[in-house]
Amino acid sequence: MKQIAFIAVLAAIAIALPLVIGESPYFIGILISLLMMAALSSAWNILGGYAGQYSFGHAAYFGAGAYTTLILLTLYNLNPLLCMAMGIVVASIIALITGSIVFRLRGHYFGLASIAVAEVVRLSVLNFEFTGGAQGILLSDVVLWDLDLNSKIPFYYGMLLVLAVTLAITAYLRKSKTGYYLQAIREDQDAASSLGINISFYKNKALLISAALTSVLGSLYGLYIRFIDTSAVLDLRLSIEIILTAIIGGVGTLWGPVVGALLLVPLAEVLRSNVLGDILIKAGLVSETSGVGMFLKDNLAHAHVLVYGIITVLCILYLPKGVLGLFRRKK
Amino acid sequence: MIQHLLHVSHVSKHFGGNVAVSDVSFSVEEKQIFGLIGPNGAGKTTLFNCITGFYPATSGEVIFDTKKINTLRPDQVCKLGMARTWQRVKPLGSLTVLENVMVGAFSVTNSTKEAEAIAQEQLKVVRLSDYTTKSAGSLPIGLKKKLELARVLATRPKMLLLDEICGGLNHTETDTILDIIRGIRKKGATIIFIEHDMKAVTSICDQIVVLNSGEKLAEGTPGEITTNPDVIAAYLGGGHHA
Amino acid sequence: MSFLQPLISGILTGGVYALAGIGMSLVFGVMNISNFAHGDLMMLGMYLAFFSFTLLHIDPYISLVLIIPIAFMFGYMMEKVFINRVIHHPHQNQILLTVGLGLIMSNTALLAFTSDPKILTTTYSSSAFNLFGDISVSVPLLLSFLITCLITVILYLFLSKTATGMALRATSQNREAAQLMGINVAKMSAIAFGIGTALAATAGALIAPTYYIHPLAGHSFLLKAFTICVLGGLGSVVGAGVGGIIIGVVEAMSSTYLSSDWKDVIVFVIFLAVLLFRPQGLFGKKGGQ
Repeated sequence: MKQIAFIAVLAAIAIALPLVIGESPYFIGILISLLMMAALSSAWNILGGYAGQYSFGHAAYFGAGAYTTLILLTLYNLNPLLCMAMGIVVASIIALITGSIVFRLRGHYFGLASIAVAEVVRLSVLNFEFTGGAQGILLSDVVLWDLDLNSKIPFYYGMLLVLAVTLAITAYLRKSKTGYYLQAIREDQDAASSLGINISFYKNKALLISAALTSVLGSLYGLYIRFIDTSAVLDLRLSIEIILTAIIGGVGTLWGPVVGALLLVPLAEVLRSNVLGDILIKAGLVSETSGVGMFLKDNLAHAHVLVYGIITVLCILYLPKGVLGLFRRKK
Repeated sequence: MIQHLLHVSHVSKHFGGNVAVSDVSFSVEEKQIFGLIGPNGAGKTTLFNCITGFYPATSGEVIFDTKKINTLRPDQVCKLGMARTWQRVKPLGSLTVLENVMVGAFSVTNSTKEAEAIAQEQLKVVRLSDYTTKSAGSLPIGLKKKLELARVLATRPKMLLLDEICGGLNHTETDTILDIIRGIRKKGATIIFIEHDMKAVTSICDQIVVLNSGEKLAEGTPGEITTNPDVIAAYLGGGHHA
Repeated sequence: MSFLQPLISGILTGGVYALAGIGMSLVFGVMNISNFAHGDLMMLGMYLAFFSFTLLHIDPYISLVLIIPIAFMFGYMMEKVFINRVIHHPHQNQILLTVGLGLIMSNTALLAFTSDPKILTTTYSSSAFNLFGDISVSVPLLLSFLITCLITVILYLFLSKTATGMALRATSQNREAAQLMGINVAKMSAIAFGIGTALAATAGALIAPTYYIHPLAGHSFLLKAFTICVLGGLGSVVGAGVGGIIIGVVEAMSSTYLSSDWKDVIVFVIFLAVLLFRPQGLFGKKGGQ
């Protein structure tokens, strides 16, 4: 009962938020990033957190969604939702290929192979012509029903919806046969298979669900940002950001990825937009024209990846169960 | 007429040049408690792995309930009604005791509620009902062994393969486990029992096969086995005092 | 005759890849850890060679005398401070820790050295001589290859003849048994990581005269090193050596006969094909999982 009330309050806040903060595109933009990262990380968590199969190549599924949608839109001007569905198909094919190659193997292989597949996808997209190659794809105009797709608001609700669906699927899975089977596989594969669990079937199932959700997010992102290239949607760094978000919040927990996104996305924004540098300069602590000031201005934007690296190391060493792990201790 | 549930015929397993199991054959009758004994390294666990689908046998055949199973995966073998425990226990550490047993129960039901009911029932059988919400990883070894037993029972097996289920336990714990196993047999399950503790085996088994260096050394009733000179030599030669 | 050209340059480049692959494989064998910072350690080697050339005016090949001990100490300390704390953790955590360390190294380099690629130009950088009339052999690549061979031989002798080397191999075969035999496995891990780092940095220094030096250069080398390890069988030092040469040749061939844009794709496709058809690697024993 308490849980339902908690979720209802959370949902009400999320739905009302754009009305409260007005239509400031800047803040809505940050909120969209936040919802997207929370959803991406939650989708990854189904495979990585529950089944224990750490994919280091989820950017491939994100990119599959984004590229399929934008290519189909620019070439044939189909209904965006249909393009999204085609994105799921493409992502599922990539997932099935990855799964069939690698789920027979144990240990380090899945992580390595997932990177290799993602790199093959990235480099292929970069080298083919129909994908726009290094230039990427620019989308001029989209129409869906009579939504104003030049505004960010529809995308805010779109991302919110996908996040809600992802969390709902996770919550359902957790208490179902599949969820228990995935956790059994994570804990001990031999024990799992001796108890009647078809290991590769369930791993593939988790991968497919995770890839399909990730691809939908990629499609939404493509429609929202209207310009994609390989460095934006297929980069290894995106895959790592997705994992990191889950780790910081708490891998294998329902709300961990959301907590991780709440912590990381605003932090990244502060670093990327150089707010920190501006504050230091405005406060008169550092002169804008001094060497230090120039250095901060030029480089702090790059520093967010460095900070991610430091957070990753600290998190693995001191907080391997994530922030939620601090509070959650089952008897 | 005697009903045989399991036929192991001429099974061998080689690892590279090492022969772990060599041309072993035996049959297990329904509702028997069948002992598989031998010194360390005799190939008992390897044979279990071949029967349950974890290793493909190099040659030979395993027939369970009229079906050839030595080409199946472990999960398929389990679905046919053959379940095993592990010498080195394999609890699903971060799940609770109840959830561990539920995972077993899911092989006979898709409903979480039913799985929970089956799990509760089996936890009662192994006398572990007080620990349902504990995390499986935190249990002491004696209780982990019981948990293994409850977990495989939840798959509703026709045949149970128990790999040193009493290993590492003290006398009272061993007696409790043997008691539970007798109860299980009364309900109609067939059991193969790996052990190198001779006393445990002879007190409970109907029929025994002795392995030594991968080969079948002898087969017979507990009485025949304990007086068999080859067996005595193998055990003393292996430096084993049970 | 044109077939020999990519073959020879492939073998020469492959030798250097092999060095990086051997370093990774050694770490994997002894510690059972996939080191995702390996490429960034190579990148550090590139910069070390670059700065000892521009600041200290030491020839990049001579500078190895400095780079190897520095890199060894760096790796040794890195293992002591970070890696050994996760040696009993799940694989994923080990991978993520090295990913994090790699991000720190590459992005610190980005801040310190900026994203402008640097070029190390020696007097012989672009010199080449002709073999059999029409095959050109690059002098720096040949030198790198010869140094690689020398280092590999030294490493081989070290592993097979010295007490430490044998202890390393024992740890690689069976960590628990090695520990029971009284081998200090924690120390072996640090030494293995030190050697792995030294080999990565050496490989970086050796290719520095023929590549762009860039803070993010490690990324593509990391994946190459993995491919080499998997090709040779994870943990097999000899396999990694042969794997490196194969990858070098495949790259050179696909650049010549397809296009250089696709050469990395081909390398990764080979990686996946090995996982699919021969997961134990080309030289690994069958039956292992």
